[in-house]
Amino acid sequence: MTRLTVRGIGKTYADGTEALRGVDVHAADGEIVAILGGSGCGKTTLLRLIAGLDEATAGSITVDGQPLTGTHAAVSAVFQEPRLLPWLTTGANIAFGGRSLAKAEREARVDSLLHRVGLGGYAARWPRELSGGQQQRIAIARALIGHPGVLLLDEPFSALDPFTRASLHELLLDLWRELRPTVLMVTHDIEEAVVLADRIVVMRPHPGRVQETLSVDLPRPRDRLAPAFDLTKRNVLRAINRSLAAPSPGTTTAAARATADARRHGTESRAAPGPVTSPWV
Amino acid sequence: MRRGTWAVGLVIPVGLAIVWEFAVRNGLAPGRLMPPPSQLARTAWSLARSGELQTHILATMTRVLLGFAIGATAGTLLGMLNGANVWAARLLDPSIQALRAIPSIAWVPLFILWLGIFETSKLTLIALGVFFPVYLGIFSAVQSVDRKLIEVGRVFGLSRTGIALLITWPAVMPTWIASLRTGLGLGFMFVVAAELMGASEGLGYLLLDGQQMGRADSILVAMIIFALLGKACDSVLVALSRPVLRWQDTNRVRL
Repeated sequence: MTRLTVRGIGKTYADGTEALRGVDVHAADGEIVAILGGSGCGKTTLLRLIAGLDEATAGSITVDGQPLTGTHAAVSAVFQEPRLLPWLTTGANIAFGGRSLAKAEREARVDSLLHRVGLGGYAARWPRELSGGQQQRIAIARALIGHPGVLLLDEPFSALDPFTRASLHELLLDLWRELRPTVLMVTHDIEEAVVLADRIVVMRPHPGRVQETLSVDLPRPRDRLAPAFDLTKRNVLRAINRSLAAPSPGTTTAAARATADARRHGTESRAAPGPVTSPWV
Repeated sequence: MRRGTWAVGLVIPVGLAIVWEFAVRNGLAPGRLMPPPSQLARTAWSLARSGELQTHILATMTRVLLGFAIGATAGTLLGMLNGANVWAARLLDPSIQALRAIPSIAWVPLFILWLGIFETSKLTLIALGVFFPVYLGIFSAVQSVDRKLIEVGRVFGLSRTGIALLITWPAVMPTWIASLRTGLGLGFMFVVAAELMGASEGLGYLLLDGQQMGRADSILVAMIIFALLGKACDSVLVALSRPVLRWQDTNRVRL
């Protein structure tokens, strides 16, 4: 049982930049929650706070009711880049994630995970010999070998081509079904969020806050071509548009208003100022 | 590299040796100041037969290796300390950099005054020469370890010591070995300086003796042996480091 609760989290950097304000996110046991938003809305910052890599300046993070301070054995992560240790073989890289396990158990899990991620014969290879997608598979295996209660994913598929990305979505879901970690994933890809998540938290920027949370009530496995899938995607898109139209407190709202006006008239202007233009409209 | 292609590198030295041997034998050139290869071989052989050559080699190698061990250990420890701890670096690094600005040979008179003309002053000079490249190499390497890999260590629950041993240390290994090779090269440089400043044995002594006796052949024999020893030591270092650097993605052509 692993519940992740983020309550009223805020992060202001030493230089005064406010990255997050009053963010509440909840993930029930074994749930997949996607955090969706454009760049600058603090979604990676949020993940870093939960991973224990940075410290929040307000609010609390709890796992099963226990406050989370620093890094935690129950919380594991896959980053945007594979971040394999180049001096360890792929097998040893996976084992690195399970150093607290007994040797025999660790070796058995490395072996089975290598097969599960489709790289059975690759235990003795060096990371540099693998493609980007293969390296990310190893990174996923490394994150899961310790059977973490919470798995954090920071746009782990964003650097991959669409074919590789789709196959990694399948892989992740397979492993999730088997190990049932609570998953919190950050993404800027609407389709990815709808394919994977039970709930989607849409964030808006300056400072990063939660715009709204949507449930994805589609049965798994999800058919990307089904009309219901499209409908959900459209709902998410609407939420994103609302997040972009909303005026940002504490910053000048002229830009936001201009973009909102343009959108109302169906003439999204190319000249609309940078931070609030949507890449999807 | 295809087998046998290395032999191309032999064309120039072997060719020159043959031409020189021919020229001296036929009276086209005087061999006194630039003795031909056959003369060098005879000199080397007679030095070796009397046991003199072995004594010199042993003396020189002992100095180089001891000085290298001291300098490399000190450089590695201080470099790691300063790389890992900001306050240690703030305290120590400026002084070390200031000392580095002094050409190492300039210490010779002071070392002789302080430590005498025997082994201690020689070892100190060699260790000093080895220290700086090793220190600088490891200091900057520790500072430039990829933050992203450090974060991997933190997420997977490593302590500070664990990160130092399992992330930082392997990450700086390639730079460390490169700096050890530079240090070893400098060790050979400084052993010559140390032996030229007064020694009763060692290859540097052989150089000086050859100059005073007008024996160009023993000077050249000593130089050739320096070259062979330096290359051999470097090769040993490279061979020792190969297993721990296999992971590196390099396209270096083996020479």
